[in-house]
Amino acid sequence: MPTGIDPLEVAALARIMEELDYYELLAVEPTATTAEIRRAYHASSRNFHPDANRHLGQDLRDHCGRIAKRVTEAYCVLRDTRRRRSYDARRGQTGGLRIQLAEARSSHIEQRRAEIGGATPQGRQFHAKAEAEAKAGNLAGAIQHLRMALTLEPANTGFKARIDAWKRSEQTRT
Amino acid sequence: MAEIAVGIDLGTSNTCVALMRGGEVAVLPNAFGERTSASVVHFRQDGSVEVGNSAKAKVIHAPAQTVSSAKRLIGRYHFSEEVKKAQALYAYEIVETPNHSVRIEVREEEFSLPEVSAMVLREMKQIAERHTGEKVTRAVITVPAYFNDNQRQATKDAGRIAGLEVLRILNEPTAAALAYGFGMGLNQRVAIYDLGGGTFDISVLEIGKDIFEVLATSGDTFLGGDDFDDRLMDLLADQFVGDFGINPRNDPYAHEKLKLAAENAKKALSLDEETLVVIEEVLKNDAGEILGLERTITRDEFAQLTQDLIMRTFKVCDEALQQSGLTVRDLDGVILVGGPTRLPMIREAVAGYFQQAPRVDVDPDEVVAMGAAIHAAALVGEAQDSMLLDVTPLDLRIGVAGGLAEPVIERNTPVPIEQTRTFTTVQDHQESVQIRVYQGDHRRVEDNAMLGEFEFSGFEKGLRADVKIDVTFEIDADGIVNVTASDPATGEAASTRISLSSGLGEEQIEHLIQEDVAGRVQTGSTTRDPSTSFAASTARDFSGARDPSDTTPGLFGSGIEDLSLPALDLSASSLEEASALALLDDETLIRLSQEADAIGEDMTLETSLGSETTASDLFETAGRDLQSSHSKDVKEED
Repeated sequence: MPTGIDPLEVAALARIMEELDYYELLAVEPTATTAEIRRAYHASSRNFHPDANRHLGQDLRDHCGRIAKRVTEAYCVLRDTRRRRSYDARRGQTGGLRIQLAEARSSHIEQRRAEIGGATPQGRQFHAKAEAEAKAGNLAGAIQHLRMALTLEPANTGFKARIDAWKRSEQTRT
Repeated sequence: MAEIAVGIDLGTSNTCVALMRGGEVAVLPNAFGERTSASVVHFRQDGSVEVGNSAKAKVIHAPAQTVSSAKRLIGRYHFSEEVKKAQALYAYEIVETPNHSVRIEVREEEFSLPEVSAMVLREMKQIAERHTGEKVTRAVITVPAYFNDNQRQATKDAGRIAGLEVLRILNEPTAAALAYGFGMGLNQRVAIYDLGGGTFDISVLEIGKDIFEVLATSGDTFLGGDDFDDRLMDLLADQFVGDFGINPRNDPYAHEKLKLAAENAKKALSLDEETLVVIEEVLKNDAGEILGLERTITRDEFAQLTQDLIMRTFKVCDEALQQSGLTVRDLDGVILVGGPTRLPMIREAVAGYFQQAPRVDVDPDEVVAMGAAIHAAALVGEAQDSMLLDVTPLDLRIGVAGGLAEPVIERNTPVPIEQTRTFTTVQDHQESVQIRVYQGDHRRVEDNAMLGEFEFSGFEKGLRADVKIDVTFEIDADGIVNVTASDPATGEAASTRISLSSGLGEEQIEHLIQEDVAGRVQTGSTTRDPSTSFAASTARDFSGARDPSDTTPGLFGSGIEDLSLPALDLSASSLEEASALALLDDETLIRLSQEADAIGEDMTLETSLGSETTASDLFETAGRDLQSSHSKDVKEED
C-alpha cells in the first residue's frame, strides 16, 4: 500500500498544524460547500488515517495520527452549519483556530436530511418520486424527477450528486 | 512477502476465521471441516481446555465447567444488569473481584473474561496456522459496533493474551459492508442489519469508490439470537412444569438440554413451517422415573413469542436512521448479517421495515470474518486498500457534581478524534483532582458505563480560579478511549489506560502472555500455578491512586470526586469535596486565553524572525505534494 507521504512534509505539517484554521487544514476555501468539505476529509484520511500508515515508522505514524485527529475535528465542525457559523464568527480572532465540538450542538443531521431529501415540500415530493423510480429500476425516470427537484432547489448539491451517480450507473449498465 | 494477517469474527455463539490471499477471501474451516466454531470453552478435569463445537457438546454433562457466551460478559461490571441475566442463564460460576470486574470460576480456578476469549482466539489462530503452514501472529478482530471502550479494550486484551498482534478492532457491520462492497465500485447508501447471537447492531454507511464512511450506528449489546432461543426454551420449560409440576430450570443438566432443544427447534423453523421437539429424558424425578417432553412448535407460534424482540431491533434502526439523516427510502440496500437473520420471520420483518428485500448473497455467518480478513490484508499490504471511516457509538462523558455526566464527544462522531477541555479546582489550594470518565447516552452518571477514573496532582496549586488543568479525551480508530490530564504551565501529565472492567492491568496482561494461559488449548496439559492467579489481587493499578480514607462503597459515589459545573460550584456538597475539579467559568477562560495569547504572540514573533517561510506557505507545499503524489499512486494502481 504505497502512499506518497514525504516524511519531512508530514513532520512540517504536524508542527505547523496548531497555526492552521480548519479550512487551511483541509485545504479548502472558506466558501467551500459541505460536499467539498467531505471530499477533502476523505482525501486527507487517505493520507493520515492510521490505517493508511501502518508501514511507516513510529514517529511518522504519531505525526499522521495527530493530523488525522485534527482533520476529523475540522470535518465535524465544518460539515455542520450551526457549528460552522459559530466557528466562522470566531475565526479571525486570536485563539480562534479551534472550537469545542460540545460547544455548538450538531445540526448536520437536519441539514443532511434537507440535502438528501429536499428542503422544500415540492422538492421533497419530486425526490420521493425519483427514488421510487430508481428502486423500480427506471434510472432515466429517476433522473428526470430529480432534475425537476433541482429546478426547485438549484443549490441542492445532494440532488446533483445523486443525479451524477445515477447517470454513471446508467452508463455502466449499457 | 508480508506476513499474513487473518480476520476473526469473535461471536457470542460462534467464531469464524478468514484469510485473504492473492485477492481471494476464504473462510478457514476447523479440523472437523466446520466453517464456524462454537465460542465455547470446556475446562477438562486435567486442567486442559477444549474449544469449539465439541466443547459445546460437553455443556450437557458438565454445564458448570463449560463457558459459553463469554462475549456477553466481557468488559462488564459485576453489578451490571447483563451479568445478573447471565447468572440466571448459565450454570458456570460468575464471581466478582474487589474492583467489581467479572471472573469465571471453574474447577477452583478463576479466569478473567479476556482469558476465556483468548482461548477461543487461540483456537482460531491454530486453525489458520494449520491451513497456511505458517505462524499467524496478526489479526483484525471484530466487535459489535455498539461495544463500549471497556468491551473493546477487553477484546483487544484477549487477542494479545492469545499471542496475536491486534492490527485493528473493527466494527462488525463495517466489516460486513467491506465484504459486500469490495471491488464492486459501489456508490451507495446501505444499512447493515446485524443480529448476532448476543448483540444487535445497525450501521448506516455511505460507500464511495474506495471509501466506506459510517454515517451512524446504533445497537443493543444484550439482544440477540440467544434471546430467541430463550423464548423457545421458556415455552418448553413451562410445558414441562405443566406436565409434571417440576421446574427443569432448577436442574442445570435439564436446563442445558432444553436450551439445546430450543436452539435446534429455532434452526428447524428456518426451514420448516413446524417442528416437533422430542426430549426422551429431561430429568429423573425423586422416584427415579425418567420424565421426557414432546411439543410441536409452529412458525407462527415462534413469531408471536418473539415479536417484541424484532420490534426492539426496529426501534434501534429508527434511531440510527434518524442520526444518519436518512429515511428508509434513501437506502440503496440492506445487508443481513448474523445467523439469526436466516429466520424467515426476521427476513420478512426486515423487508417490511426497510421496504425492500434485504441482500443475503454472502453467508450471514461468515460475512463479518471475510470483511475482517479483507481489512487485515489491506493493513499488511496484501490487498488494495479501502478507507474505513468509522464513528464512535456512544457519547463520551465526564462526571460532574449532582451526579451528571457532561458530554465531551457525542456519539456518531467520526474517529480518530481528540478533544481537550480545561478545568479548574473547586477549592483553593486543592492538592489533587479525581477524573471519572463515562460512555453512554444518558444525563445521569449511573445510567452510563463507567470507563474508569484516575487522580491527577501534577498541577501548580493555587487559588481555584488560577489553577488550569487540561483534560484530553482521545478516541482512536479502534474506538478505544484514552484520557490524559495535564497542566499546560508545568507540562506535567498523568494518563491512564482507563478501561476498568477488563479487570486486567498492563502488567497482568504481560504476565498472562508470558504464562501462555491460552496455550492450554494447544498443549492441553499445562496447569497454572494458582499463586500467579490475578483474580486474587486487590485492584487495578490506578485504583490504588484512590484515597484510602475514601470509604465510598460503590463506583458511583455521592459525587465526592466528581468534577463540578461552574453553576454547581457553590453547592454544599461540592464545597466539601476534597479533590473535585470544576469547569472553568467563562470569565477565567477569557483571562487565561488572553494571557496565553500574549505569550503565543511573543513566540510567533520569534519563530517568524528565524524563518522566511510562513506557516501557510509550508502547508501549501505539504498539502499539494501529498495530494498530487497520492493521485499518482491511484493512477498507477488503476
